Amino acid sequence: MKFISDNRLDEMVNSMDAFSSKGISRRDFLKFCTAVAVTLGLPLEMGAKIAEAATNPKRPPVLWLTAQGCTGCTETLLRTNHPTLEKLILELISLEYHETLLAGAGKQAEEWRENAMKAYKGKYIIVAEGAFPTKDKGIYCKMGGKTAVSLLEEMGSHAAAVIAIGSCASWGGIPSADPNPTGATSAHEVLKMKGINTPVVNIPGCPPNPYNFVSTVLHYLTFKRLPELDDQARPVFAYGRIIHENCERRPHFDAGRFADQFGDEGHRKGWCLYKLGCKGTETFANCPVQLFNDVGSGAWPVGTGHPCFGCTEKGVGFTLNLHATASPKYITPPTFFTEVYPGKEVVSPGVKAFAAGVAGAAIGAAGAAMLLGLGKKDKDKKDEED
Amino acid sequence: MTMNRRDFLKTVAGGGGLLLASHVRPAEAYMPKELPPEAVGILYDATLCIGCKSCMVNCKIHNSAANGALYSKDAKGLPYEFTTQEKIWDAPNDLSSKTLTIIKAYRSGTGINKDSGDNGYSFIKQHCLHCISPACVSACPVSALKKDPVNGVVYYTENRCIGCRYCQLACPFSIPKFEFEQASPQIRKCQLCHHRYAEGKYAACCEFCPTGASIFGKVVELRKEAQKRLELQARAEYDYPVQTVDSSYKMRRPVSKYVNHIYGLKEVGGTQYLLLAGIQFDLLGFNKEITDTFLPDLTWAYVSKIPSVIGAVIAGGTLAWVITRRHKNKDKEE
Amino acid sequence: MNRKDIKMMTPVTKVLLLIMGVGFSVSLYLMIFGHGASTNLNDMWPWGFLIGSAVLVGVAMAAGGFIIAGMVYILNWKKYKPVVRPAVLTSFFGYLMAATAIFLDIGHHFRVWHPIVMWQVNSIMFIVAIHVVLYTTTLATESSPMIFEKLNMKKALNFVNKIMVPVVLFGVLLSILHQSSLGALYLIVPSKLSPLWYSSKLPHLFLVSAVMMGLSMVSFETIISTKAFKHKPPMDILTGLARWTMIVGSFYFVLKLWNLITGPGIGAAFDGSVAANMYLIEIIIGIILPLILLSRKGLRNGLNGIFTANILVITGIIVNRINVGIFGLAKYTSRSGFDYFPSWMEIAVALALIALAVFGFKVSTKYLNLFPETSH
Repeated sequence: MKFISDNRLDEMVNSMDAFSSKGISRRDFLKFCTAVAVTLGLPLEMGAKIAEAATNPKRPPVLWLTAQGCTGCTETLLRTNHPTLEKLILELISLEYHETLLAGAGKQAEEWRENAMKAYKGKYIIVAEGAFPTKDKGIYCKMGGKTAVSLLEEMGSHAAAVIAIGSCASWGGIPSADPNPTGATSAHEVLKMKGINTPVVNIPGCPPNPYNFVSTVLHYLTFKRLPELDDQARPVFAYGRIIHENCERRPHFDAGRFADQFGDEGHRKGWCLYKLGCKGTETFANCPVQLFNDVGSGAWPVGTGHPCFGCTEKGVGFTLNLHATASPKYITPPTFFTEVYPGKEVVSPGVKAFAAGVAGAAIGAAGAAMLLGLGKKDKDKKDEED
Repeated sequence: MTMNRRDFLKTVAGGGGLLLASHVRPAEAYMPKELPPEAVGILYDATLCIGCKSCMVNCKIHNSAANGALYSKDAKGLPYEFTTQEKIWDAPNDLSSKTLTIIKAYRSGTGINKDSGDNGYSFIKQHCLHCISPACVSACPVSALKKDPVNGVVYYTENRCIGCRYCQLACPFSIPKFEFEQASPQIRKCQLCHHRYAEGKYAACCEFCPTGASIFGKVVELRKEAQKRLELQARAEYDYPVQTVDSSYKMRRPVSKYVNHIYGLKEVGGTQYLLLAGIQFDLLGFNKEITDTFLPDLTWAYVSKIPSVIGAVIAGGTLAWVITRRHKNKDKEE
Repeated sequence: MNRKDIKMMTPVTKVLLLIMGVGFSVSLYLMIFGHGASTNLNDMWPWGFLIGSAVLVGVAMAAGGFIIAGMVYILNWKKYKPVVRPAVLTSFFGYLMAATAIFLDIGHHFRVWHPIVMWQVNSIMFIVAIHVVLYTTTLATESSPMIFEKLNMKKALNFVNKIMVPVVLFGVLLSILHQSSLGALYLIVPSKLSPLWYSSKLPHLFLVSAVMMGLSMVSFETIISTKAFKHKPPMDILTGLARWTMIVGSFYFVLKLWNLITGPGIGAAFDGSVAANMYLIEIIIGIILPLILLSRKGLRNGLNGIFTANILVITGIIVNRINVGIFGLAKYTSRSGFDYFPSWMEIAVALALIALAVFGFKVSTKYLNLFPETSH
């Protein structure tokens, strides 16, 4: 298959000298676009189209709004190599506002934001990071005197799209964990509450795989629409399958080979971590496929020997006990086979016992009848005389 | 007895007439003996089967949909069978009210040679064979099991079934399974996904079989395909069709050594599920006592004589009564 | 002894009522929670103890009715008239027992009327269902004179007596078909039923054995009833029945032997398998021993000899029906590793049905004129 192998990608990365790239050759650039196409599950020919969109001078403006976030979702973008973070923000998109990365501060920053909103009204994209507290009128997160909720409302109402990056923005994440004292809510729920219809796409994960985000953005740039989304507004190319369906340890699960304790023989042999609480059977994500940090196979939690805790999945991550066994979503047969023809030539024990019982009763009845009946000759004659 | 002979004869004739004047149309009485005109079925080639169980998974998914053979209106999710201690697999041990098809494995000795009887192993896919003259259809007292006269699918109509389980006894392959665990039980068995035909689809097991071990098609063509395979040389290369017998998507691979027999061609008078394998079929779970006889014929041999018995008893009985009554007239107590 | 002297509430009756009570509760449980919760039946053993006992055995036991009624009303052998009423009543309770067992055994109890409306003439089950309905009605008609007498409904009584002969003929016809059709049920399983029993002549075998059983049953209950009433046993009837039992029994023995020789061969009965051993028990207890007894004139004409022979025949036929229904299939079903032993609930229901029949009979002896010829 025409595909960029991990080796090739490594080569590409090394030759690019990622952290101080001054320019990328056309060839390498096309390669990275192809890689993005592959991540999105698109035909390879789409790579060229993505390249075109990515080099379009009219880069769409992006306003990055962080609320109850840890900035981990921003940091995750540091782990991409195709494109690198600076390639992304300097050349692919026009990052108009990002609290962590922007140079200015205070009133200037806010003014800049408002100008960008006015200038690109209806065209800018919001990236929402972190959850939005709704309790007590949302006072638990404020930027520039405004609550995060009101900021999202203001910014979201004139945005072309909202990309909620990370579990917190997608469904509430860690701040929303029981007892959720701040009323942390997802971006899309806040928008729904406020009656704003801007299309939202959720990229859950803690942090999400950066390629999920980047590919979604590039898809939007190329095709001017969001990729296919599931019923939770997550792109299907990344969140369409549960971890279990792509996990390299799946054969161990199917064959019943489980690690029972950290460090035991099964664990050291790389067996399935289901019994250690792996939530891969009920978590939608592409971690085993996409992996993290472009360092090759095994670069994901399960690969390192720790069970998945379902960080992308509402109701699983930060909700279920880390080491409690998961409820599998799609249940399939194991690798065990029933013996086709036991070919037991002996009658089953229950039936045998039943036969013995019937036989015993029959013989007993017959025996009793014979003994009583035939031993009664004298009495019989006496009866007939009466 | 104060009845005179005339009255007696009238009553008997009337009663007998009622019995004989049943609304049985003779045509209905005969079970089919030939392949229906558009008979469809499945050809399973055990030498292509890799035991992936995709057929089992997809059979369960697609038959749990509305009108499917596993459909249940108050079902919460698919009818999984948690038969192991760790309740995490759908692990049926056999066909059941929740599992309409199953892959089982045969092993001899070390079990390393595929489709060989010598230190070998093979898979076998078990489900309803959709016989041409089904014993279950002839056994069902209320026609809950019927054979479609056009495509030959043996299908089940739930609201007729009384739950007598005679079909379970009658089927020589012991296919129909009963929902013992339900208070309102149904019989469950493969119905060749006939609920999907209207949308141009076919048996899910064939649609999702990755190797072409299960292929769907018209039985006449499946028979030809099976015969063709038996005539191939072992280890020659052949383009096996995948999904359907007339599919253009083929997989080229070497031919395995087959047992020279198409199971289902003649057994019980012929079935619409045909099998090929590299292992003797009685080792793959088929009862070797099964012959080529049409099973409903065995019952019809009795049923067809009923009218004559009725006639004979009524005639004979009347005669006996008349004769003996005349004799006993002298000894009448009244 | 008079009917008036029969005590209803004897210890035996109390036990019967207890058994029926337990059985009734268990039946309710079965109807509410289904077969899985109450029986040990499974997909390889769809029919078990309930069908084997209450239906197959119950119907065979009830064969006495049509035989005696046929002898008296069609062949005009008035000698047997004194036992017509009890024979017909036993039949009635026997079929009621079978019908109730079927009602409880089918998965959709309240669809039991379906076969009457949805016909499928290839099915022996259908034939059986129609016959049960028709024959229970016929038996009710044949039993009705006792009821009409009790209720003093003279007009109804007269009418019924007028049509009795054709009704009996109809009953004989239905019984012949019904008894043989229970054997025909198993014609469709040549690959499953052991060749010790399987044969194309199964219907004939069932019919002949039912006649043998019927004769013995009538004789048996006549002896019991006369002992209970402290009457003199009607030896002419009993010896007559015994003679006919011997004749029919010999015929049955020949049929069975022929089946064995032309089928699996005599050796098959001695191969030590479960089926073979049960076959031997059936033949020895049910045919050979009683035939030996009945062939000796002294024993055949003596009360004890007859009683013993009756018990042997009845036991043998019970074993035969359970053999055909269960043990004859055991080799086939055991091959796949499936097992069966009746659950206590199945046994409870079967016992309750028998108790119901016995109790019903007892109530009838007290309240109906079962023995008009000997009543004081």
